Amino acid sequence: MSEFNPRENYFALLAVPQRYEVNQADLSRRYRELQREAHPDRFAGANERERLRAVQYSSQINEAYETLVSPTRRAAYLLKLAGVDSDMSSTTFRDPEFLMQQMQLREELSELQSASDPEAALDAFYRDLAAAADQQKSLFSASYLEQQFDESLASYAKLQFLEKLRSEAELKESELLDY
Amino acid sequence: MLMQISEPGQTPEPHQRKLAVGIDLGTTNSLVATVRNGSAQTLADIDGAHLLPSVVLYGEEASIEVGEKALAGASSDPVNTLMSIKRLMGRSFADVTDVTGVKMSPYELLDLGQDMVKIRTRAGDVSPVQVSAEILKSLGQRAEETLGGELTGVVITVPAYFDDAQRQATKDAARIAGLNVLRLLNEPTAAAVAYGLDQQDEVAVAVFDLGGGTFDVSVLQLTKGVFEVLSTGGDSALGGDDFDHALAQWFVAEHKLDSLDVFQQRSLLTAARQAKEQLSSADEVELALADISSTLSRQQFNDLVDPLIDKAIRACKRAVRDAKLCSDDIHNVVMVGGSTRVPRVRERVAEWFGREPLIDLDPDKVVALGAALQADQLVGNRSGDEMLLLDVIPLSLGIETMGGLTEKIIHRNTTIPVAMAQEFTTFKDGQTAMAIHVVQGERELIDDCRSLARFELQGIPPMVAGAARIKVMFQVDADGLLRVSAREESTGSESRIEVKPAYGLSDTDIADMLQQSWASAADDKEARALREQQIEAEGLLQALSAALLKDGEAMLSEDEQRELLAKMEVLHREREQGSVASIAKHIEIVGKASEVFAERRMDASINQALAGRRVDEI
Repeated sequence: MSEFNPRENYFALLAVPQRYEVNQADLSRRYRELQREAHPDRFAGANERERLRAVQYSSQINEAYETLVSPTRRAAYLLKLAGVDSDMSSTTFRDPEFLMQQMQLREELSELQSASDPEAALDAFYRDLAAAADQQKSLFSASYLEQQFDESLASYAKLQFLEKLRSEAELKESELLDY
Repeated sequence: MLMQISEPGQTPEPHQRKLAVGIDLGTTNSLVATVRNGSAQTLADIDGAHLLPSVVLYGEEASIEVGEKALAGASSDPVNTLMSIKRLMGRSFADVTDVTGVKMSPYELLDLGQDMVKIRTRAGDVSPVQVSAEILKSLGQRAEETLGGELTGVVITVPAYFDDAQRQATKDAARIAGLNVLRLLNEPTAAAVAYGLDQQDEVAVAVFDLGGGTFDVSVLQLTKGVFEVLSTGGDSALGGDDFDHALAQWFVAEHKLDSLDVFQQRSLLTAARQAKEQLSSADEVELALADISSTLSRQQFNDLVDPLIDKAIRACKRAVRDAKLCSDDIHNVVMVGGSTRVPRVRERVAEWFGREPLIDLDPDKVVALGAALQADQLVGNRSGDEMLLLDVIPLSLGIETMGGLTEKIIHRNTTIPVAMAQEFTTFKDGQTAMAIHVVQGERELIDDCRSLARFELQGIPPMVAGAARIKVMFQVDADGLLRVSAREESTGSESRIEVKPAYGLSDTDIADMLQQSWASAADDKEARALREQQIEAEGLLQALSAALLKDGEAMLSEDEQRELLAKMEVLHREREQGSVASIAKHIEIVGKASEVFAERRMDASINQALAGRRVDEI
């Protein structure tokens, strides 16, 4: 196990191998271990500066954990470590299969309102999104291992797109189900 | 605040057991609890009552009554009897005029534009913060009298959905009440703590909190003492009061009553509430208004409230999904709030989660009990089986961008504390200032979100448009409170800004309120300030000396030690003879000088603890 050094790379800080596949249990265990020691509550009786420092450390640990836990953010972080610019503004999709899938999903989303059981339709939509995302995750993982970063970048872009669709669906859900 | 001389995380000697309490500052009732003989219990007042009605009466001859005595004034002196004040905390006039209950309140609310609303009383215009401070003061006194000593610190609970302004207002109230706040704790987290479900291996728990006017649901992951909030949600306009309204509406429709006056409405609602409560055990009840009456069966009641419970269940569904779980993953459901006594609510919750909810602890007390356990640990009374509470931010934080849109910087349900940086640039040549508007909320349009603060970054070095790189840092601490600072990166010029919520109080406001609350004591403000600074200096010096003795040689070079000691020497002299300002200045100097030392000590202590744990685990 590595020492605690808040200035280190997130994978090192959380003591997991630097690759796309992460062991969720290891990640969570190390995260809780670190927070147990660095969380501001541990310094409730300490002086102002130590407490401020604890807030900073604890924030860094949270940031590292949330980055590695999120499939999309983890991908972006790995690309950054590999020196690949993951800024989406320049990326275009030239993958007819994905374009097809994208259109289908869009259509499914727009038809949610008129479905006889919108709640069930939403659940089905979320399942389709998750399946599409799983596919991109495996592609990312494989291409990153082989250092085919162009392919990784393309998968990352698709993951981002799927995530955007997901938040649109959540917005729709709020409207549909009157939260 | 005084510092602990012992190492961070270490437990002081047993005889140094400190007094700490948890306070549930509620809309209708408030409670104070502490840990005695190893278990958490709520404290009663002199008459044996545990619940303190959250009511304050500003009476004749500058008298202030709190609780039952104040409640007596509700009918005789409604204008000066302030109730449901929690709904006004951190809120402007425009925010609260459409909140149920507030609109109908008989007291006079003052429209102060963007500022927090105030209430006109015979004691002058009072802020909701001051009113809450009276309630907190009363509970603090109760605790000190019962426990026989001064309180070291308190944990105060707030609804998980409270935004920055509401949290800040709560903390300010405690400060005015003279209480040292160890932590603002989210109510659902406190409830989970009270049940002590954390000793199991990795379980997910839902907390279902249905109060009089609000509904709150949180999903937590519990792992050997770690309480991790995964998601939180709810409906701030759904509660037991809506059940009463549904019954009243049914009655009105049954009898085709079209014009009830305010008094009739009031008594119908009261009758509806009683009917609801009786139906918890009876199969049918009589609902009556004067000489008109109807029989209501439990089945009819259930049909009436089901649409309301549907809303709550939908919010549960969303919270569970936000936690990336499904209903089968939830191992326990904790019930909080008086409205969870309604059998139909329990039935529906059991049905959706597929398991019976936990109702062993009094749903009115469970939050205060959890807060007491956390307070006990934070002052260092509990050792060994330490728990760790990781809360989330309930609403996204963002900034205004072009065209009145918001850009989210920190998303809701992110674990706190959290820090995020955002870079901005200038859009005009030679631009030296820039306005930033911080908001909280989920909506796209700025007008639909809560405005937290507007501030102007000044002193940007003049450059061509787009060349300046201004980094704005958003830091949310463990209490859910925001702090913003900014730095121009290309030249390194820094401006630190403390963001106070737009509806919050300025330090001067608080100083005035403190002054007011001390007015009766013959205490001179200046003398008190001096004493506070002296105590703070003393505490800092003691803590540093102890730390230097232990780690000074190992962690600092000789030069570093000498330099720090010299500055401590000056502070020591100032403490004896200096003014408030000069002591404060030297506290700052010594604090800055010891920063590196503090950092090295913390790194070392965290690593040591981790190493120790690893050895244990093998």
